[in-house]
This record gives sequence, structure tokens and C-alpha cells, in this order.
Amino acid sequence: MLLQFQKGDIVRHLGLLDLQRTMQRALRRSNLPVAYSKGFNPHMVMSFASALSSGIAGDAELLDVSLCGETTEEECLAAMNRVLPPALQASRVRLVDDRFPKVSASLRTARYRITLRGGETKRIVDDVPAFLAQEEIMALRKTKKNETMVNIRPMIHELTAQAGEQEDTAVLTARVSFVEQATLKPDLLMDALCTHAQAGLPRCEIRRTQLLGDVGGQPVALIDM
Amino acid sequence: MLKEKIDGLLDRVQKPARYMGGEMNAVLKDPNSVAIRYAFAFPDVYEVGMSHLGSRILYDIINKREDALCERVFTPWVDMADLMREENVPLFSLETRSPIRSFDMLGITLQYEMSYTNILEILDLSGIPLHSEDRTWDDPIVIAGGPCAFNPEPLHRFIDAFSIGDGEISTLETIDVVKACKAEGVSRQECLRRLSRLRGVYVPSLYEASYNEDGTLKAFEPTEEGVPRTVVKNMIADLDKAEYPESVIVPFMEIVHDRINIEVLRGCTRGCRFCQAGMIYRPVRERSMERILDLAKKLVDETGYEEITLSSLSTGDYTCLPQLAHELMERFAEKRVALSLPSLRLDSNLKQTLEETQKVRKSSLTYAMEAGTQRLRDVINKGITEENLISSVSDAFAGGWSSVKLYFMFGLPTETFEDLDGIADLANKVVRKYFETPKHIRAKGLRVNCSASCFVPKPFTPFQWEPQDTIEQFEEKQKHLCHIMHIKGVEFNWHEPQVSFLEAVFARGDRRTADALEAAWRLGCRFDGWTDQFKFDKWMEAFEQTGVNPEFYANRRREKDELLPWAFIDAGVTQQYLWREHERALQAQTTPDCRKGCQGCGLKRFEGACEGR
Repeated sequence: MLLQFQKGDIVRHLGLLDLQRTMQRALRRSNLPVAYSKGFNPHMVMSFASALSSGIAGDAELLDVSLCGETTEEECLAAMNRVLPPALQASRVRLVDDRFPKVSASLRTARYRITLRGGETKRIVDDVPAFLAQEEIMALRKTKKNETMVNIRPMIHELTAQAGEQEDTAVLTARVSFVEQATLKPDLLMDALCTHAQAGLPRCEIRRTQLLGDVGGQPVALIDM
Repeated sequence: MLKEKIDGLLDRVQKPARYMGGEMNAVLKDPNSVAIRYAFAFPDVYEVGMSHLGSRILYDIINKREDALCERVFTPWVDMADLMREENVPLFSLETRSPIRSFDMLGITLQYEMSYTNILEILDLSGIPLHSEDRTWDDPIVIAGGPCAFNPEPLHRFIDAFSIGDGEISTLETIDVVKACKAEGVSRQECLRRLSRLRGVYVPSLYEASYNEDGTLKAFEPTEEGVPRTVVKNMIADLDKAEYPESVIVPFMEIVHDRINIEVLRGCTRGCRFCQAGMIYRPVRERSMERILDLAKKLVDETGYEEITLSSLSTGDYTCLPQLAHELMERFAEKRVALSLPSLRLDSNLKQTLEETQKVRKSSLTYAMEAGTQRLRDVINKGITEENLISSVSDAFAGGWSSVKLYFMFGLPTETFEDLDGIADLANKVVRKYFETPKHIRAKGLRVNCSASCFVPKPFTPFQWEPQDTIEQFEEKQKHLCHIMHIKGVEFNWHEPQVSFLEAVFARGDRRTADALEAAWRLGCRFDGWTDQFKFDKWMEAFEQTGVNPEFYANRRREKDELLPWAFIDAGVTQQYLWREHERALQAQTTPDCRKGCQGCGLKRFEGACEGR
């Protein structure tokens, strides 16, 4: 079962483990025929398409759960929404064959909406075309093991900016690479953009709006892959 | 605006999930649809407070009313509290992020003395005046209950009314009174007066205390007509008729007790002389097996939890425990729900129950021995023998357990170094028993966790007249214990005597200790129960500043005829019974469980009190 759900604003600080535990308990309450692993300490066979960092909200996150009995997509969606708290409601369910490759393997890009508030927001918005015009954008990527300078330009597939309704606010929409070795985190993108615009980092509210795969060079919602 | 400000703070604190709300089964009501908005505070962090059963019962009971709503609040951890002060954000409820000051009532549960500074922290962060006398109808009526309310005096200045005893009915009665008073538009003072006429409710501003030259209490009287001289605790006669939540909030973050908790019985008749809970929660009342099984099913369906615990002061005393455990295991095995049994007593008929529960998961077994020798266990009336312990661990080791916890206290009345040596002796015998169990039967990796805490004499116990050991005495005994507890396979832990010393001061403190409490909080004391936050030097400075002598409260022997600050409360057990038990203790005479014959503790004075089991 692929479950598409939102991680609402008020619960955006949930970390992966808390979210995982919450989903497990919801699945237990749902009475859906969830499959358990074999072995001494059986656990539910489930995984998220992509872990969403604490502090970031999501519109269409994906949870992949193995089922072991007959059910329908409508039944699953209704059962899950009955047991999920308001801030974690599901929007879609797709039942796929177990033999399908794991959904996370098809993930290529992710779309983010970044709301900027205050500071030098306007300067940042104005700088977007010049920022994208660069052939190479070097940024310092930190991992647990090391820090390396990488060219992030090829990882930016789309980036648009729109001034917000209030002064000093703006909304950036970005589609960035999300594959091993070439994942661009939205905060790194913001750092690079602000550095180029020679502006301080304003208050950012980051929301992941879509997880996408790729069919013939075109982005396709991951749940439809 | 407040909601956005709070949101901004959450990005900057350690554990935002503490302040997030929005959990499954949290109750969201329209504030405009109710007459009384009740904020319920547990004066510690979220993960501690959310583990407390009583708070969940009251949250459920209040929210079941159509004319009231209940929202939760906890003490913000120091990082959040500092940010809130910096950014001028008042303390807010988790459900709707409304300012606590805007509620009609604020209920605070008093579970341990070391949470008292956190109460002042909650009031201050809410913008509610610290002193009851400075409050107006712009502030909630502040009510406190729980075990520490049996000596409310150290908090008398900060709390408008105390609710003493079982809270299920009392809480609803106080809501009725406040609702009526608000509707009628009477003064706050009149509202407090009306509250004082409810059974079990103590309104400290309507009483006056005077003192003798030697510092002891001289008199304690109501200041006006119609205010009761004696406050009689509340009692629920029949647990099956009492409300119990059939759905509970499932937190996102891991909390201390993260499981379904079903109270199977209330009260305890064993009569351990150090145990306040065993005295103030009398009489014993059992919940029926049918009701427990029904609750278990509903709670499993509603929460998705994977573990049920059967809680009470002494779950092993539940009449049909083996049968209940068997039924629960059988009904929930398919759903992979495990059963855990805390507070088991060695002398209960355990073997079958243990065999039942181990089918799902093996946890460690806990034995509260409390004292190292039979003589001292007789003094405290802890009816366990060495033989009980050894035969029980022997069964446990043969049954595949390898992890055992042993709890002791030191600083008990009449204690000698011989009694301390007895602790090491018992630990040694447990280790030996493990190695005597054949290798092919026993589980690998013996772990004997042995912990010793400093004894704190509590009100409404036979030891309420006894002095606590001084910090120096505790430290000397501790040194000795650390020395003799170097045993292979045994891990020894002890508690800091400084914390226990303060507990003793406030457990038996009178009105004057309130000054020291407030001064300590002003000097920055909060979260005193957390080792990394505890500031003993600040506490001593606070005593100095206010002229309160802490030794007077902690280390002084009281005479039989001394007027005790909590004597105006009728806790069910009488002072005569407690004194009788005190004398028997000093002669190391035991008193049998009253289920085997009435000991005349005083509960029989209440109609039907001793029949609910």
C-alpha cells in the first residue's frame, strides 16, 4: 500500500522516529491486514519514500506498507483517515504489487515551496534569474563524514520566485535532485542563493510539496510511477 | 498572533514535540461552546506529565462534560521558558495554544515535593499573580490536588483551593461551583468561600495559623463561620462506577510510560509504615475483571499501543490476577499486545502469572525489599522475608529471567550499620542463586540492579513524627554502602541526600516554608527533580534569606502531642492509629494486612468504605 499523507504545519517538527512510531500505531488501530516480518521480534514491513527532516512540513509524503490480505484503496484511505490525527491526514492510497521495486528507488526529484519573510527578501527574489544564469554554482555540502564543495547547478531543475501578498514576503518554488550522491537540500539551496544575492538569510518556512519520479525525462508524481 | 509567535519559538528549542499538541485523541472543543475552560497542569516536562494516569483520568472526566473543556499544559523546559520570557510569550495550552491566564480554572497536580518550584514557574510564565490574595477574576481559580495536597501548607499562599483525596467527583463539584459563581457574578472571595464548603476542599486563605515560641504550631483555625475545622478527604466507593478513560492521547514523542495503563485497584492494606500512598489511598477498592477486560479492548482499539500495564500500589494483591493476566494474554496475543505487571509483591502467588506474561516479552523483575535485615523490615512492616526473595528469584532465573532490580531505602528509623550490611548480603545471595541455576536453563547475562534511596518521613504515616537522618549521616552511610556493594554482577545506585533533605522539609513543612520556596524560585531554582538543574546552594541561600531553618522540619523528632500542620485533614486513617503503629514500629512488632482482620485504622468510620473489594 502506498499511502500519500500530509505532514501538517503544527507537526512539522516531528522527526523520522516519532513519525514512524505514530504511523505504526495508526496502522495498528486501522485494523488493515498489515504484514509483519518473520523472526524473533516481528515488526511491520513499512518504509517512507524519503525521510523528511524535522522542521519541514510536507503536502504529499509517501509511506510504503506491506499488506497481507484483501482490501481496496477506498477502504484503506478511509481506515487510515479515521485513525490519523488531523495534522497527518492521508490524501490518496494506491495498492501496488509487492513485486514492484521499492518506491524510494524511483525517486528522482522533489519539489519545495519556500516562504520567505522579512530581511532582504526582495533582493533575493530579484537575484533569482542571475543566480540561475550561472554555469556553475559551488556550495559547501556537509555530510556526517565530511564537507565537500560541489556544483549544485545541475541539481536545480526549476526555481521560480514570486513576491508575496505582504511586503517583505515571497514564495520560492524549487524542484531539486533527490537521488543518492546528488541530493540538494533546500537549506543549502537557500544558502547558495543568499550568498549570491549578497543578502542575509530571511526567515524561511520550508514545505515539501511533491516527490517525483521520472518517465522519459518528465517528472511524474512518485505515487503514480 | 500568539500562535505564530509560538511557532517561531518551536524552531529554536530542543524538543519541540513537547509543545506541539495535535496528538491522536487530543480533545479539541470550541471554546465558545462551554461555560468553563479548565487548564490542567502537570508541573514537569511533557514526557513525564503525559505518563501520569491521574491527569488522564481528570482530562477525560472534564472533557466528557458538555459545558466544560480541558486543555493540557506542562512546565516548559528551561530553554523554552527562557525564550518565552525573552519574546514575551505567555504560557499556553497544547490543544488550542490559548494563554493559560485566560482559562476559568487551572488545576495543578502535586505528585512530588520537588515539583513545587515548577508550579511557581507555571504561574509566572502565565502572568498569573503568584499569591492567591493578588488574583482577580481576570485570573483562573487555581486548584491543586494529588498526594502532596495532604500537606498543602508549603503551597498555601500560591494555591486558591486544594482538593484532597480522590479527584473524580471533587473535580466536577469544583467546576459546578465556579460555573455558578461566574454566572451569578459573585466575588472571587465568595467563590472561594463556597468552594471551602465542598467535601475535601481546603481554601487556605480562610484559615489562620499561630506558632509557639519553640517554633511549633500553636493553633490552626478557620477565620470565619461556616468554614469547616476539619477537611475530610474525598473517596470513591466503587471503582467500577467511577469514570475511566476509554480513549487516551497517544503522544508523538516517546514518553516515560508509553503504554496503556489500567488501574486495577486503588489503595493498599499492607500497612508498610514508610508508605504514604498506602495510608492516604485507603480503603482498597478493586475494579472488576469484566470492566478491566472491557477497558483493555477499547483502549487497544483506540490507541494502537503494543503494551498494557496493570497498575496500582500493589498489583499482585488483585484478587484474580492470574486469571486476569491469562485472559488478557489470550485475547490480545493475535494483536501482539504485551502485558507488563509493575509493583508485584514477592509474597503474591506469582508463578503462574509470570509464566503467562513471559510468553510475549521478558522484562526485568523488580523487588522492593526496602531494608536489608528482617529486624528492620519488621520495623517498617514490610512483610517480605529473605526466603520470599530467594525462592522468587530462583523461580525467575529458572524461568529464563536474568535481570533483577532490588530497591532499598536507608536512613530508616532505628537503622544500624548491620542493617546496611544486610543489603549487600541479600544482593550476594541473589547472585549466588543465579549461578546455582543450571547453565542450560538460565538466561545469559546476569544483571542485578540494586538501588538505595534516602528515607523521607511523610505526613499521615506512622513515621511522621520521626527525624530524617542528616545529610552528614546519609553521606556516611552512603560511603559504607558503596564500599560493601562492590559485588560482581551487581550495579549499585543511590540517590543524592540533598534532594531527599529538601523533600523532607516540604513534605512536613508548615506555612512558613512557603517563603523559602518562593525565594528559591526567585534565585533560579526550577526542575529540582532533575539532577542537571538542581541547585542546592541556591536553596540554602533561600533558607538563609527567609530565616527558615530547614533542619527544624527535616531532622527534628516531633512529640506525640505536637499539633502537626496537616492535622486538620481527615485522611481516613486516624492519628491514634498512626501513633499506635509508630510505637509498634519502634518495638519491631509487625501488623498484619487488614484484609486478614481489621486493625482499626479509622476507615470503618466511613460508610461502606471497606466493602469495595
